Amino acid sequence: MTAVAEAKIKKRVLPSPVTGQEFVLVGVLVLLWAALAVSTPAFLTAGSIQPLLVATAPVALVGVAMTIVIITGGIDVSVGGAIMVCSVLTAKALVGSEVSLGVAVLLSVAAGGLLGLVNGVLIAYGRVHAIIITFGTANLFMFLGLQIFGSGTVNGIPGTLAFFGRGPDGRTLGVPHAFLITLLITAAAWWYLRHTAGGRHFFAIGGDPQAARLAGVRVQRRVLLAYVLTGLLVGLASCFVIAQGTSTLDQSVGSGKELAVIAAVVIGGTSIMGGRGSVLGTLLGALLVQSVASGVTQLGWRSQLSDLFVGIFIIVAVGADLLRARARRNR
Amino acid sequence: MTAATVNAPAESTAAKLLRVLLTQRIALLAVLIVIVVVTFFINDAGGYLTAPYDFDYMSASLINAIPLAMLGLAELLVILSGRGGIDLSVGAIVSLAGMGFGFAYGEWGWPLWLAILATAGFGALLGAVNGFLVSYIGFPALIATLATFYAYKSLAIVINNQEPISTEPIQELFSLSKSVELPLFGQYVPDVPLGIFTFLLPTAVAVWLLLARTSYGRRLYAIGTNDVAGRWAGLPVRDTRFKAYVYAGLISGLVAVVTVGQFASARPDAGVSGNGMALPAITIAVLGGVAITGGIGRVSGVVLATLLIVWLNAGILLAFVGNEGSQYQLLALGAVLVFAALLNGLTNRKYGGSQ
Amino acid sequence: MTDTNETPRLRLTAISKRFGAVRAIQHADFTVTAGRVHALVGENGAGKSTMIKIVAGAETADTGEIEFEGEQVKLGSTTAAIALGIATVYQEPQLFPELTVAENIFLGRELKKTGRVDWTAQNAKVVELLTLLGLPERYATAEVGTLSVAEQQQVSIAKALASDAKVLILDEPSAILTDAEIEVLFDVVRRLTAAGVAVIYISHRLDELFRIADEVTVMRDGRTIGTYPIKDLSVRQIAHLMVGEELSDARPHREVPEGPAVLELRGLSRAGKFRDVDVSVKAGEIVVLYGLVGSGVSEIAACVYGIDRSTDGQLLVNASRVDIKSPEHAQRLGIALLPANRKVEGMFGFQSIAFNISAGHLGLLSKFGVWVDRAREKAVALKLIERLAVKTPHERQPISAMSGGNAQKVVLARQLVERPKVLVLAEPTQGVDVGAKEEIHRLITELAEEGTAVLVVTSDLPEALRIADRIQVVRGGTTTVEFGPDASQVDLLAAAAGGSEPAGGTTKAAAAGGSEPAGTTKAAAAGGSE
Repeated sequence: MTAVAEAKIKKRVLPSPVTGQEFVLVGVLVLLWAALAVSTPAFLTAGSIQPLLVATAPVALVGVAMTIVIITGGIDVSVGGAIMVCSVLTAKALVGSEVSLGVAVLLSVAAGGLLGLVNGVLIAYGRVHAIIITFGTANLFMFLGLQIFGSGTVNGIPGTLAFFGRGPDGRTLGVPHAFLITLLITAAAWWYLRHTAGGRHFFAIGGDPQAARLAGVRVQRRVLLAYVLTGLLVGLASCFVIAQGTSTLDQSVGSGKELAVIAAVVIGGTSIMGGRGSVLGTLLGALLVQSVASGVTQLGWRSQLSDLFVGIFIIVAVGADLLRARARRNR
Repeated sequence: MTAATVNAPAESTAAKLLRVLLTQRIALLAVLIVIVVVTFFINDAGGYLTAPYDFDYMSASLINAIPLAMLGLAELLVILSGRGGIDLSVGAIVSLAGMGFGFAYGEWGWPLWLAILATAGFGALLGAVNGFLVSYIGFPALIATLATFYAYKSLAIVINNQEPISTEPIQELFSLSKSVELPLFGQYVPDVPLGIFTFLLPTAVAVWLLLARTSYGRRLYAIGTNDVAGRWAGLPVRDTRFKAYVYAGLISGLVAVVTVGQFASARPDAGVSGNGMALPAITIAVLGGVAITGGIGRVSGVVLATLLIVWLNAGILLAFVGNEGSQYQLLALGAVLVFAALLNGLTNRKYGGSQ
Repeated sequence: MTDTNETPRLRLTAISKRFGAVRAIQHADFTVTAGRVHALVGENGAGKSTMIKIVAGAETADTGEIEFEGEQVKLGSTTAAIALGIATVYQEPQLFPELTVAENIFLGRELKKTGRVDWTAQNAKVVELLTLLGLPERYATAEVGTLSVAEQQQVSIAKALASDAKVLILDEPSAILTDAEIEVLFDVVRRLTAAGVAVIYISHRLDELFRIADEVTVMRDGRTIGTYPIKDLSVRQIAHLMVGEELSDARPHREVPEGPAVLELRGLSRAGKFRDVDVSVKAGEIVVLYGLVGSGVSEIAACVYGIDRSTDGQLLVNASRVDIKSPEHAQRLGIALLPANRKVEGMFGFQSIAFNISAGHLGLLSKFGVWVDRAREKAVALKLIERLAVKTPHERQPISAMSGGNAQKVVLARQLVERPKVLVLAEPTQGVDVGAKEEIHRLITELAEEGTAVLVVTSDLPEALRIADRIQVVRGGTTTVEFGPDASQVDLLAAAAGGSEPAGGTTKAAAAGGSEPAGTTKAAAAGGSE
C-alpha cells in the first residue's frame, strides 16, 4: 500500500467524532446561555458561571460511567445511595481523623469501587436484570449510609476538600478544579470508548450480548468492569459533593441523584436500549440541566420549575431520536 | 416435557417442596410472612421488643400497606403490559393529583365524592400522557416516565408556591385514616384502618377482576407475553398498553386522596420526598413475582409482598430504638429484593421460570 | 464427477449423523475443489443444513471422514473450522448495527498498536477485502446499521474472508436479495473463486445455479444422490433428482362446488415485496400459493390479513372491494390467518392452551363484552382440543411446554373458534412432526368440505400437492403458473425454481404449456437408480 493511499485512509478511519445530537445540544446551550445573558446580565459573569460548572461536575462525572453502563444495555439506579455512603464515610474520616486530601479521595474512591463491585458481581454473574438488582442495592447502600451517619448530620467538616469546592482554592485560572477533572475524565473515557478494543466491546455487548460472546468478547468481565467503574467515579464525585456543601453533611445527600444522572445521559443522546451512546453528550446534557436550574433561579422563578424543563428536554431529546430512527427505517 | 414426566415419580418430598417454593411465588411469600410474624412473636415473648408485637399492632400497621399496595398494583398493570413497562412517575402523580384534590376539596369546596372522582380522573389523565408517549409514540417506558416524573414533580411544587394545602376540610379528612371496629365479629378481632376498606380492598378487588376476569385483562397478559403474536391475533395492542398506564395513573390519583388524608394536608412533595413512592412500589411488584419482562404477575403476589414488607417493617421498628428502625427497614427491603431477584434467576435456570 | 489430479480442498466421505431416532444424514459424500463453486441442493429436510453444520464445525458427524487439503482432520468446533479456513455466512447476518464495517469485521480480534485499536491497519485490511469483493471503500467506515440488507450480507462475506478463508459456505445468500443485488453477489463469488477460494453455495433458486455454479451436489432424504457438472443438467433434471421417484399420493379427487370467489386478489402489489398477484378462492376450495423462501409468498399472506398494506391492485371479499387496514379488520371480514412463525407470531409462550385459543376471540367469549365467559372458554377449548387431537392432560397446560406439532395445533385452533369464511394458512406444518402434519392436512380438507375458502401459503412441495385443489406458483414476487392437483412435483419445483422450459401448467398468459415432462434423461436415471 502506498503512502498516499494510507494517508487517504487515515483521514476517515472512524465515523464523525461528534454526533448530530451533540451539535444540537451545543446549539441549545449556546441559545440558552445567550437568552439568559440577555435577560439577566449577571449570568455571564465568573461569579455565576463558576458555581454552575462546579454544580455540574458530580452529575456529569457519574454520568460518564452511567453512559458506559447504559451502552452495555444495563442501568444503575443505586448511584444515589452509593454517593451517600461514599460522602458520609469520607466526611466522617475528615472530621474524625483529619485525613489529608489524597487519603480522603482514595478512601472515597475505594469505597465506591467496592459498592460497584457488589453491583457488578450480582448483575454479571447473577443473571438478573440490572434495574432490579440496583433497586435492591440502592436500599442496602442507603441503609449503610444512614448507619454511618448514626444520628443526624455530620458537622464541622474541615476544608480539606476545598480543592474541589466553590471557593478560590477550588480554581486554577478561574476554572473550577472539579469541572476540570470531570472534563479530563470525560475526555479520557471518550478516547477509551472510541479507540480501544475494550471500549468498543461495550458497544458490541449492548448491541447483542450473545453475538458479542460468540465473537470472543468477555461479556461478563466487561459488564462487571462497567459497574466497578461507576463505583469508582461515584467515589470521586462524592468528594465533589462534600466540597460543594457547607461544613455540614445531612442525610439527604445523594437523594434523587440516580434519576438526575440518568436524565443527563438520556438527554445526551445515549440509547436506553444499549449499543449506542456518547460520554460527550452526557457532559453536555448535565451542563444543560444545570444551566436551566441556574437560569431559573437567576430569573427569579421557583427553582423547582427547572425540573419541568428537565422533563421536557428528555421528551424532546429522545423523541427526536425516535423520529430519526423511524425515518431511517422507512428509508 | 418428557424429562419432567420421567423425573416426577423419582422426586422426593423435600425436592418437591423446594420446587413449589421456588416456582410458586405466592407459596414463598406466605412462608416468609409466617416466618417473620413468628420470629417477632417469639422476640416479643422474650421481651426484646420496645412495645408489644401483637395482632392489634399488626392491624394498626396496615395503614402503611394502603399506599404501598395500591401503587404496587399500579406497577403490576404497567409492568405486565410488557416491552420494558415501568412507571417511575406514580409518586409524582400522587403529589400533583394530591394538590389537585387539595384545591378541589380544600379550597373550592367541592363535595367529597366529586373531589375524589375528579382526583382519580386527573391521575388517569396524567397516566394517559405516559401511555400516549409509550404506546403510541414508542418511547421506552423508563424514559417517558422519568420525564413525566420530573415534570409532574415540578408542577406539584410550583402550582401552589411550594405551600401545602391544609384548610379545615382537609384537616378533617384525617378521620379517613382512623381505625374502625369490624361489624358483627369486630369485638373479637383488632380494629382495622378504615382506608383498607374504603380504598385498598376496592382497588385490589377491582384490579383482580380486571386482570383475572375481564377480556381486557386477557389482552394485557397476551400483549405482555408476546406483543407480536398479539398483533397477529388481532388484538388492539397499542390501545391495551395505553390503558395500563391510564389505570396506573387512576390508582395513583386515589393514593393521592389517601395520602392527603393521612397527612391531613395536601403536600406538594407527598409522593416524591425522600426515596419517593415509585421505587418502593416497583420493589413490591417485583417481590410479588411480577416479571420485569411482562406477562407474568398476580394481584395476590403484590398484596402478599406488601404484607410481608409492612409487617417486617413494623417489627423492625420495635426491635430497634429511634432512627435505627427506619434504617433497618431499608436493609430488609433491599436484602429481600436482591434475594428474590437472585432466586428468580436460579428458578429460571432450574425450572424454566416461576408463576 | 470432477476427478482432477489435484488434491481437493475438502473431501467428506461416508458421513452419517443421527439426531435421536432421526437419521439426518446417511452415508453422504461431498468434495469441493479450490477455485470452484459447488452448489448443494435438496428439498427442505433433505439434510443440506446438517451437512453444512458439519462442515462448519457446528455439528460433529457420527461416522465418516473429513479431509482438508489431503489431510484427515476433525472439525470439533466452529473455531477449529475457522482455524482451518472454513468460513460460513449464514442467512441472518450476525452484525452489530451501531459499529462500523471495519469494527464488525475485526470484533474480538482487533489489531492493536500500543494499547489502542490500530484503525489504520484494520482499515487497510478491510479496504483490501472490499476491493477483492469489488465493493466501494467507503463501506469500511460506514456504520452497518446504515447499510441495506444486501450490503450487510456483503459485509458478512467480508467478515468471513477476513480470517483468510479457503472454503466459504454461503447459506441461501440470494433469498433476501433483489435481482440487481444478486448480480453483485455473483460478481463477488466469481472474484473469490478467481482468487482460489472454494465456495459452497446453497440455494433453492435452481435457475441461478446455472449462472454461478460449476458443479451441483443433490441431496435427498439425507443422502447425496450424486455430483454433476452443472452444464450437463437442466432445471427440470435437477428438480427431478431432488424429488426422486414420485410416490403417487392416492388422494381422492375432491369435488369443488361451483360458485363465486370468496377471496380474490387482482393484481395485488406491495412495493418492493410482490407485484401483480392474481388469486381467487371459492367457498370449499383449497388453493395453494407455492413459492420458495424469499419469493414473496409469505408477504402476500401478511397483506391479505392487514399486517402490511398493499400499494396497488385490488382485494375482494365476496366480490366487494375492501382495503384491509388491520388484522382486526380482516377478522371482521371473516378472514383468519395462521401465522408462519409459530414462536414469534403465534404463541403466547407461558400462557395456557385455553388462553392461547381464546385470545383474539375475547369479544365472542365474553359477557356484555367485558367479562370473560370462562365456562364457555373452557368448553370451546376442550372442543377444539378434541377436534384437533391436541395431546395434553388439560386445557390449562402452558403452550411453551408442548411439542411443535401440538403447539401448532393450538395456534390453529385459535383460528377456528369463530368459523372463518376465509382461512389463510402460512407454512401450516413447518417444524411439525409427521403425525401432526397428517392431522393438520386432514383438518384443512375437513374445513374446506364444510365450506371454508382455504388459501395455503407454503414452500413445502409435497404439502402443496397433497392438499391443493389448485396451485399457484409464486416466483420473483408474482404469480406465474397455475397447476391442477395432478401436477408432478418436478413440474412444480421447476416452475418455482425458475425452469425456463414450459411445464405442465397454465401460464398467466393463458398459454397452455402441454409439453411432455422431461423424465428420462441420463442424470435423472442416475437419480432414480438409487
